[in-house]
Amino acid sequence: MIINRLRRLVENITIPVLAVILGLLASVFFVALANADPIQTYRNLFCEGFGPQGCETFSDLVIIRVEQEDGTSQSFFSPFYGENGHSLAIVIERATILILTALSATVAFKAGMFSIGMDGQLVLGALTAVFLGVWLPKQIYALAGVPDADSAPEALRTIMHLIVPLICILAAMTVGAFYSWIAGFLKVKLNVNELISTIILNSIATQVAIWLIAFPLRSPDPNSTPRTDRIDDTAWLIPFNRVLLPDVEWLEGARVGIGIVFALIALVVIGIYLYRTTAGYEQRMTRGSRLFARFGGIPSDRAAIRAMLISGALSGLAGAIQILGVDRRVVGEFASVGYGFDGVLVAILARESIAGILLVACFYAGLQQGATNLQFGNLPRQLGGIIIAFIILFNSMENFFRSNIARLQSRIRPNRGQAAPESASGATS
Amino acid sequence: MPKAVEMRHIRKFFPSSGVLACDDVNLSVEKGEIHAIVGENGAGKTTLMSILYGLVQPDEGQILIDEKPVRISHPNEAIHSGIGMVHQHFKLVPSFTIAENIMLGIEPNKAGFINSTTEAETVRKLADSFGLPINPNARIADISVGMQQRVEILKTLQRNAQILILDEPTAVLTPQEVHELYNVIRKLAQGGRTILLITHKLLEVKDVADRVSVMRRGRLIGTHNVADVSIRDMANMMVGREVILQVEKKPAQPGDIVLKAENLLVAGSGGVPAVFGATLEVRAGEIVGIAGVSGNGQTEFIEAIAGMRPVEGGNISLLGTDITHRKVRDRRNTGMAHIPEDRMTMGLNLLTNLDENVAVTRYQEEPYSKAGFLQFSAIRSFAQKIIKDYQVKSARVGEEIKTLSGGNLQKVVLGRELDGNPKFIIANQPTRGLDVGSIEFVHKTLVEARDKGSAILLVSVELDEILSLSDRIIVMFDGRIMGVLDIKDANEQDIGILMAGGSLEKDHPAQEKA
Amino acid sequence: MIDFLTNNARKIRLTLIIAGILIGLLLFIGLPVILVQSSIRLATPYILGALAAMVASRAGVLNLAIDGKMLLGAFIAVVVLYKTGYNPIVGVVAASISGGMLGLVFAVLYLRIKINLIILAIALNLFVANATVFFMRVSFGAFGTLADPSISGLPTIQLPIISSIPILNERLSGYNIVVYIGWVMIAVVWLILFRTRFGRHIRAVGENREAAESVGINVTLVQVFALTLSGALAGIAGSFLSIGVLSQFVENMTAGRGWTAITVSLFAFQQPIAAFFTSLFFGLSEAISLYLQGQPGINIPPDLLLAAPQVAALIALVLVAVRIRAAELLKRRNFATHFGQELANLKRAVLERN
Repeated sequence: MIINRLRRLVENITIPVLAVILGLLASVFFVALANADPIQTYRNLFCEGFGPQGCETFSDLVIIRVEQEDGTSQSFFSPFYGENGHSLAIVIERATILILTALSATVAFKAGMFSIGMDGQLVLGALTAVFLGVWLPKQIYALAGVPDADSAPEALRTIMHLIVPLICILAAMTVGAFYSWIAGFLKVKLNVNELISTIILNSIATQVAIWLIAFPLRSPDPNSTPRTDRIDDTAWLIPFNRVLLPDVEWLEGARVGIGIVFALIALVVIGIYLYRTTAGYEQRMTRGSRLFARFGGIPSDRAAIRAMLISGALSGLAGAIQILGVDRRVVGEFASVGYGFDGVLVAILARESIAGILLVACFYAGLQQGATNLQFGNLPRQLGGIIIAFIILFNSMENFFRSNIARLQSRIRPNRGQAAPESASGATS
Repeated sequence: MPKAVEMRHIRKFFPSSGVLACDDVNLSVEKGEIHAIVGENGAGKTTLMSILYGLVQPDEGQILIDEKPVRISHPNEAIHSGIGMVHQHFKLVPSFTIAENIMLGIEPNKAGFINSTTEAETVRKLADSFGLPINPNARIADISVGMQQRVEILKTLQRNAQILILDEPTAVLTPQEVHELYNVIRKLAQGGRTILLITHKLLEVKDVADRVSVMRRGRLIGTHNVADVSIRDMANMMVGREVILQVEKKPAQPGDIVLKAENLLVAGSGGVPAVFGATLEVRAGEIVGIAGVSGNGQTEFIEAIAGMRPVEGGNISLLGTDITHRKVRDRRNTGMAHIPEDRMTMGLNLLTNLDENVAVTRYQEEPYSKAGFLQFSAIRSFAQKIIKDYQVKSARVGEEIKTLSGGNLQKVVLGRELDGNPKFIIANQPTRGLDVGSIEFVHKTLVEARDKGSAILLVSVELDEILSLSDRIIVMFDGRIMGVLDIKDANEQDIGILMAGGSLEKDHPAQEKA
Repeated sequence: MIDFLTNNARKIRLTLIIAGILIGLLLFIGLPVILVQSSIRLATPYILGALAAMVASRAGVLNLAIDGKMLLGAFIAVVVLYKTGYNPIVGVVAASISGGMLGLVFAVLYLRIKINLIILAIALNLFVANATVFFMRVSFGAFGTLADPSISGLPTIQLPIISSIPILNERLSGYNIVVYIGWVMIAVVWLILFRTRFGRHIRAVGENREAAESVGINVTLVQVFALTLSGALAGIAGSFLSIGVLSQFVENMTAGRGWTAITVSLFAFQQPIAAFFTSLFFGLSEAISLYLQGQPGINIPPDLLLAAPQVAALIALVLVAVRIRAAELLKRRNFATHFGQELANLKRAVLERN
């Protein structure tokens, strides 16, 4: 049984790993076109994406030798070494939102709903968070009779530090869940294709968001680009490394905060929901075979709607975390960045596995990060996108690989069967 | 008489399902005759015709058309050899007109452009020449099912088919449309065309065919002149007389009424009723068997009772509760268990493991879940219990079940459904495709459940199974219940008459259709 | 309510169409010339993109890679002109060829290698979006925008007769060639779909694959051709964005227009002529939105106007779904009443006989 499980694990890992290798190989073509040295490029890509400061070779990714002040050199285990910051810290910052949106996509997919509405839900969630993050503290100050934030009593601010972000997050999750529910409801009650409805809902959300940023929520501060006010300090999920761990150099340059904790909790909670609760069981069975679910008396429609609600709430949470923990305001371009879409890609690459999401989100974030910093060399950061596109393509060629392997095997086997019939019969008797 | 079709020593084995669909079949069809091929579902008649039409390749055997050997590896080659097929599910494009459908793939065109007036004219001429009036410009979506079938027939005629295969042509037709179809078939045969009629409706054979070949379990049992055989003979040949192991059972001691269905009306495909006014009672501690040639509404009847199909009229009550429009879960909670006809897609989810499959009917109850969380230890021990009690071989808790054999899969379903002494059990074809050992086991289990007080409703195409298990027998024909027999008074002859749509008061099969 | 809608479906549809045409005509004549012109221009990528989505959908393949094919077309058109300095029409042809080739790749990956349709589209879009920018930087050293005086834009064309008719001349004449290609393509696609063998086979494959197979149509081949044609149309749409407006390529310049084009084709229920009007509707809302941004006095939010056609499309889809659901319910109800009555009659007859 353990051997079987192990074999399945190896099987599940082989093809993604193969896809990554093939994706990197295929992208060599583009690197070569840019007259760059592929090995050097990939070395930089991975060092910038995953290595500590001063990482220059592939081996530096594991063990790095650092010159000390006294002239001697000392070896460190790279992931733990990070004077002046470590790329992994930024990977964690970036992975937070990817994990949440990928979970959002996965919950929907695992109910048989191919929803790609994460973008719209995320953007609306982010706007909800930013609106409440600005408006709510103002109201509280007004109620308390304080003229502005600075003159508020410390005790009030402490309470607000706890309550305001929570309200912002819950409201963002509610908005995301509602927006996702629309697509779920249309699918279940009227059989409107959820893929198409979420595409349209995404465009609507984007336009509404652009309008909200440009008009009602626009910062009165006379700057040229449309953007919202910054959220009040009490709504800010202050990054750990600025307050709690200011001396940890490893985290320098990143904004790692409570967000990653939320993301990790969400991973565990969603994992438990999907595989340990009756509700998760219902939605997984609904996806596996609708007929079987109906036969067993599983309320499939309810399970699908529930999945969409959870999916939307996660996207809303992702938007809120990005605003409350990282950006602190919504700028005009936010609506068209496509965070939600990245989440869909991560979910696809992770094959909807919970542990896979954690790995793939970090890999994806590191690749983006490394590719962005490649720009300082001669290569555009779009190389990262090209590599990811190739990896997705190769990763989804599973059937092709499998059938070809099977064909190869069947071509080899008859010969073997003819060659050794005696030994085979000898073994059985 | 020259032979239009000869099929010699045809053999076809499907490795994926392990079914030997055709076993050394020899069929010979004379030119200009209407030749019926009858048999139960799964007897191999559709596979045989698919081989003739090039949809399926035989493992062994030879096909001769007009006494010349041919190789048919694709429907295009069949069409080229003058064979046309009207499938049970029509292959028509709903938004296209009749003319467009008939001419699909052979459109008259100039540089790729279609002249739709000539097209419609060609089709009109074709239809007139066969005396089959149609409106070439009507859209398929707007015309009746009978008319759609006519379009399918014309489609084969336009491709100059001399041999027509009709697969269950009357399944979706109204009585009037059936009558018209008979006329068309007779006319075509008189015109020198050969008709192959796949069916399991024996009345139809008697009405229209010249000769009949009976298939059973992949073998061709015999070919007869229709005039020489009675419907009862054909039914006996179809159902077979293979002795199933005798089931040891005491006489039933029926208790209170458990299930009651009154005047049930259930829709079939094509807007024709599949069940028309069926009424039935099942008491605690008895097995009621529904006999009938398959396709006469048994499946729809059972599915309506099980909650898998909507009920359009009448009502169903289980243990005094009206469940006519209740969800499956409510029915199950009231005391229903269901062993479905199709265990591969309905009864089990082959993509997951044994635990999740056995949990489906009780994952909401303690101890299998507590406060919304699945309790895997309880589910696993339940799975373990099923494996032990029902002797599911080579199955392991937590493993995927798609590797199990058909018999073992059915034991998993049985274990899940019968555990906990349900008040009412639906068993639809519970032994289909199983080996003798498994069949015996299933029978024993069902009788045990009966003796523990369960009310059991059994459907089977195997008449012997019905006779050996049931305490009362209900015979269905054309969506109606033709009669109810106590096992003491039942004999195969009477059942055969009822199955063919006859009545026991009169001697000949009567057609009391609405 | 349901009965009324079902019984009068045709009348309702006709009324809606006539009302739509009337409103369209009113807007066409009544709106400021600038608005009409920019609506028509802005509608062009939607017209061609929607036709591209339509050809694929009609063949039974949901083509979500329109955006990628458009972007590739836009890029190739500029690149070809930049490298050769030829007549801009060459750019349009090159764009359509490149789009067609990407369509072919899409078809092969989907039909032969059997990659999941949606994942494939996502990967292709991602690839094109990144590869175009990559090449723009690497091969041309351009950042954000690829522009050069040597890239000549498409010239405007004065239509022979129409340019001399007072009201029509400024509204219908004087656009560049891709605008007219879009109009012609409406007719061409309509002709192909509804008047040729190939088009009929496309529709048969898309509507009932088994029916097409049963009469010997090579389904795969038909789908490959349809996807290639779809790609070519999307490529032309892309060329309009780059060389039809400002003669430059801007990073990710489709800005989601390929996805909107899919919405347009759905809103038009895969009808070419309806797609023309739907595209104009989308173009108009965009034109008004742009127009309003230049008018500081007016206080109507222009971005919300861009959402309006999307909302309308969603509502249209929902209404059609409601109609289908209503028809099903009606069918069930009719069945129950008809055969319930028949059953009751039969029972009465039996009772009377006894």
